[in-house]
Amino acid sequence: MTRADAVVVALALALLPYLYLTYWGLSTQGEEVRIMVGGKEQMAVSLHQDRRLDIEGELGSSIIDIHNGKARFTASPCRGKQCIHTGWLGHGGESAACLPNRVSMVVVGREQRFDSVVF
Amino acid sequence: MRPQLFIRKRPFPAIAAIILVLLLSACAKREEPLYQQQLLTFGTLLEISIWGADKRLAQQASSQIGADLQQMHNDWHAWHDSPLTRMNQALSAGAPVTVPASILPLVQKSVALSRASEGLFNPAIGRLIKLWGFEQDDLPSGPPPSPAAITALTKQQPGMNDLILDGNQLRSTNPAVQLDFGAIAKGYGVDLAIARLRELGIQNAIINAGGNLRAIGKHGDRPWRIGIRNPRGEGVLASIETRGDESILTSGDYERFYDYQGKRYHHIIDPRSGYPATGAISVTVIADDAATADAASTALFVAGPQRWREIAKKLGIMQVMLIDGKGRVAVTPAMAKRVRYEIDLSPKVTVVPLS
Repeated sequence: MTRADAVVVALALALLPYLYLTYWGLSTQGEEVRIMVGGKEQMAVSLHQDRRLDIEGELGSSIIDIHNGKARFTASPCRGKQCIHTGWLGHGGESAACLPNRVSMVVVGREQRFDSVVF
Repeated sequence: MRPQLFIRKRPFPAIAAIILVLLLSACAKREEPLYQQQLLTFGTLLEISIWGADKRLAQQASSQIGADLQQMHNDWHAWHDSPLTRMNQALSAGAPVTVPASILPLVQKSVALSRASEGLFNPAIGRLIKLWGFEQDDLPSGPPPSPAAITALTKQQPGMNDLILDGNQLRSTNPAVQLDFGAIAKGYGVDLAIARLRELGIQNAIINAGGNLRAIGKHGDRPWRIGIRNPRGEGVLASIETRGDESILTSGDYERFYDYQGKRYHHIIDPRSGYPATGAISVTVIADDAATADAASTALFVAGPQRWREIAKKLGIMQVMLIDGKGRVAVTPAMAKRVRYEIDLSPKVTVVPLS
């Protein structure tokens, strides 16, 4: 093996951790929830970090909780509370919306378990 | 021969080169073949998924569909000032009215589906729906309407049979008829959206308008996978893989409802009693088009555990799953072959033929 070969092999090995994280690592912890207001994406948040989000919609603030890899509407200024009834969303493809407040969210994962969900 | 000699004599540079080429190809940016968009339009959450189309075309298609559906929403609105409300005014006055071109197919389909479902799908009960308040974007919170107010409307028995349609001229022989296409319009809108996608040359897509879904083509080399929501509890109860072009659609008592003094009042009104239909909590059907699936799932929900098979047969719907108030699942043989349960409820499923 020449010195050039050694350099090439070393470079290839150095790239491995990056590739691992990009193509494997994210498939187990890369699921996120995309949150939209009025159909425009506001943010994409990892489902693997517990937190509470306060999203300002047309009527007021919708509270979205993220816990244990799932997300749900917890409080909403609408009357019907349909968004809250939807409950926790954890699988790629699941979605919930508060139409009066114009806030919606959809779970996306690297490997979508469902392409869409009927309800 | 030369390359072989090269490898035998000097394997390392060759292997390193191969690894490098593989790495570089992995780094090359490929365009994601799946385009997904969510829009708030048509009075609901619209989800568009398109596979394998040029991104710019997919974007153009989804904004076109968003605009189309918003226009339909405006045309078909049953209580804001719209072509439909103006039509309803004429109908209650007994006057003949010219049906706008955008509404005519809805009237025609509704008449046929209402007849086939023995009036269990009945878009003529607009007044009842309004009395309950389920037509609004924001749900009512109770109390439910008074029994006297409900009876006053049901005893007039408004139905699609009261309508006389001659070309595009419509007249009602019953002044109580008020059209509300809430149980078919979203399905029909989805059908038109699919037609628009095809016009634009898109062959693989899902349109899901608030649970009214139709899919065409595939997700690459596998079918589209559709989840069906668990009517009680959270998440997905079962999934179905689509076959080519078909609509999968669920009507459930959990979609739009309110609780008042411990009782649930949901949006699927039984036209006979004037109250929310009892017996079923969710009905899923598979049909060729979404308008039929939408109306059929409503009719079978109203028919309930006792009569759904008879009505499904009349509607020509062979793939049905009905869940009753005790959580028992009944499926037709054709549906049983399609459904994969995502949660463990196997002991509670019964397969029942339509006849």
